[in-house]
Amino acid sequence: MALLELNHVSKSFTHSKGSLRVLEDISFSIEEGQFVAIVGPSGCGKSTMLRIINGLMPPTEGQVLYDGKQVDTINPECALVFQSFALMPWLSVKANVELGLEARGVPPAEREKRASFYIDKVGLDGFEEAYPRELSGGMKQRVGLARALAVGPRMLLMDEPFSALDALTAITLREELTDIWQSRDMPVHTIVIVTHIIEEAVELADRILVFSPHPGRLAADLKVDLPRPRDRRKEGFNALTDKVFSLIEERS
Amino acid sequence: MASTATTGRRLLGTAGSLLAIALVMALFFAYRKYQPAIHPPRLRVHARALPYYALCSFSRMLAAYVIALAFSLVYGTAAAASRARERILIPIIDIAQSVPVVGFFPAAIYFFVSLARGRMGVEFAAVFLIFTSMAWNMVLGVFESVRTIPNDSLEALDSFGASRWLKLRRLILPACVPKLVYNSILSWVAGWYYLIACEIITAGPAEYRLPGLGSYLMTAADKGRAAELVAGLFVLLAIIVAMDVIVWQPLSTWAEKFRYEFAASTESTRSIQFLEALNGIGPAFLGIIQAALRPIARGANAIAQAAPSFDREAYPRLIRIGRILRITVIATLLFVVAYGVIEGSIALIRTLMQPWPDTVRSIPGATLASMLRMIVAYLISLAWTLPCAIYASENPRFARALAPVAEIVGSIPATALFPLIVLFVIRATGGMNLASILLILTGMQWYLLFNLLGGVSQIPADLKEAARSFGLSRVATWRKLTLPVLAPSLLTGSITAWGGGWNALILSEYFPYRGVTYKVFGLGAMLDVATYENSKSSGLMILLTLLSMILVVLLLNRFFWRRLYDLATERYRIDY
Repeated sequence: MALLELNHVSKSFTHSKGSLRVLEDISFSIEEGQFVAIVGPSGCGKSTMLRIINGLMPPTEGQVLYDGKQVDTINPECALVFQSFALMPWLSVKANVELGLEARGVPPAEREKRASFYIDKVGLDGFEEAYPRELSGGMKQRVGLARALAVGPRMLLMDEPFSALDALTAITLREELTDIWQSRDMPVHTIVIVTHIIEEAVELADRILVFSPHPGRLAADLKVDLPRPRDRRKEGFNALTDKVFSLIEERS
Repeated sequence: MASTATTGRRLLGTAGSLLAIALVMALFFAYRKYQPAIHPPRLRVHARALPYYALCSFSRMLAAYVIALAFSLVYGTAAAASRARERILIPIIDIAQSVPVVGFFPAAIYFFVSLARGRMGVEFAAVFLIFTSMAWNMVLGVFESVRTIPNDSLEALDSFGASRWLKLRRLILPACVPKLVYNSILSWVAGWYYLIACEIITAGPAEYRLPGLGSYLMTAADKGRAAELVAGLFVLLAIIVAMDVIVWQPLSTWAEKFRYEFAASTESTRSIQFLEALNGIGPAFLGIIQAALRPIARGANAIAQAAPSFDREAYPRLIRIGRILRITVIATLLFVVAYGVIEGSIALIRTLMQPWPDTVRSIPGATLASMLRMIVAYLISLAWTLPCAIYASENPRFARALAPVAEIVGSIPATALFPLIVLFVIRATGGMNLASILLILTGMQWYLLFNLLGGVSQIPADLKEAARSFGLSRVATWRKLTLPVLAPSLLTGSITAWGGGWNALILSEYFPYRGVTYKVFGLGAMLDVATYENSKSSGLMILLTLLSMILVVLLLNRFFWRRLYDLATERYRIDY
């Protein structure tokens, strides 16, 4: 059975002057252990898609099934990583990472142990008492990642996680993300990443869902067969990137 | 943690403020000796008289506003011109802002009545009072606008060889428009409050009566004419709403044009939309004004451009004469001010030399009593505004519905409701204590609410999503997100609320009604007693009560509120 299944999901936003159709008839399914990238230009509803999967918003039409059951509320087995990091500026790194655990009622001693483990995993050992404004962009996103991993999710949802970082930091973090996904001692085996950077999708994912905009539609579903570690200079990479690009171009 | 250096600086600042205020009071007291008797105007409580009274009140507001506008443009641009000037001019505004304005009104009456005998003197005093309630935030608005003009824009104009007049017209004045419009709206709200207050105050003592909406309401309440009272309130509300629709709405929309995109606007455009048709009135009205002003503007422009640039080298004698003239004018001004200060200080010392009456000993007690009332009023305000704000943060539809209601209700000067409140509460309880707390409350709560709602609108959406997606409970969200984000707004709101509360205090503890004077034991009452129940030592009592009040306000501001505010903005700032 697929871990996540979307059946004819559509989403409209209503406002004072009418309604805006953001997603139109989206259907796909994701198996456990897949690394899926959702790619598309702005206006194709990919961020909205992610929030519907997480349960932050309900779909206007269609249904979202997680593990065979309908998603009505926030899915506790998913964790979200935000483009803008979304850290509480007045909480230390440790307190930020513990946030999700605290919400689940995990006792303090256990919380601290788990938080320290994941802070170490993302390479921020020693920064537990630092505050977000003292950290660089890359470090802040590492905190966001640690916070998401700490709750032990089965599926990690990432909304343009590296778009707010400079190119060099983004390269480093992409490698670290791949390492985390591939290492078997991490609880999360399934990742859905939303991005507008095609190279990022080809580098990270096994499967690319191409969305076209206005309204958002699933334009194509591509498999990425290239061997890991992915290398831009190897031949298949650029061919795939061009293919995705042309798919987006012709549909938008 | 404040180091000894910061505490020392704060003490010095407080001392400086006190000195400055003592000097200003000295100026007023110099003229206390003049108390001419004038023929008091009769106040008629008829609906027919309403238009005339409304016109009187409105004219005072307009006069004060025009003066405040001119003043803020001149003062604000001067202060922004150089760092040195800023260091002198801006702290003056700071001090002026923290002084409870209404306390000065009796002194202002004495001062202006001696300058211009009779009713004109009282009118000047009223306009002056309204001016002081309007001007300071407008000055700061102009100052901030000019200071935040990006250097690039200035350099661009300079590189094209633009004259000073052109820079002013095309860059500096337009840059001031958004903040000026916003602050003008605030100033008018404050102005109505104080106008009604001072009309109410002067409605008592026969020689200082001012015909206007405030005195009309007061007299109507005094005579128990409920229908006329309601009619008066209705007229006031109509004027305020009309001004909002015809003037402020279109001006706000027009002002948006002048905003820099990167100076992100946190003030939402006003949301009261009555009838779509009425929206046309605003722009049409504005169009008429623009058409009228255009020939004047063009004329001024032509003159400014036709005048050749002045070559300083060519006319050395003229330069020298100009310099001498400037020095003479400044010297004369300084001399006049010095004379006033000296004469005032003499009068001040003479007043202080009088034997101190026994009532002086009750000043500390009275201060404490007043503060207790203010704390109760503050806690009541907090008790309803904070839950409102938290609910608004969770429920956008409620926030959207609340905003226009709060705007209108908050614009109604609470002072207009005083006669009504006193009428009911005194009849019910027979005493003034509850009434005074309620009156203080009206002066506090709107500041708190508006600041809190402003803070709510600034809660970052992604933090809200993160809290929800990680499953934070409602209470946990309040603790970890909503309340920390609201902390700076809560403090700003509290500081302004207490400022409003101090002003309301003077009006709330002493109320002559139906021949009986209701008063409670408090500092405001002592001040009013000294002002209106003339006795030999009233001058001294006015001075001492005012000084105590100012002392308490300054100490509270500097050592309590300011410290909390610094702490809150340091800890809960959102900046990444």
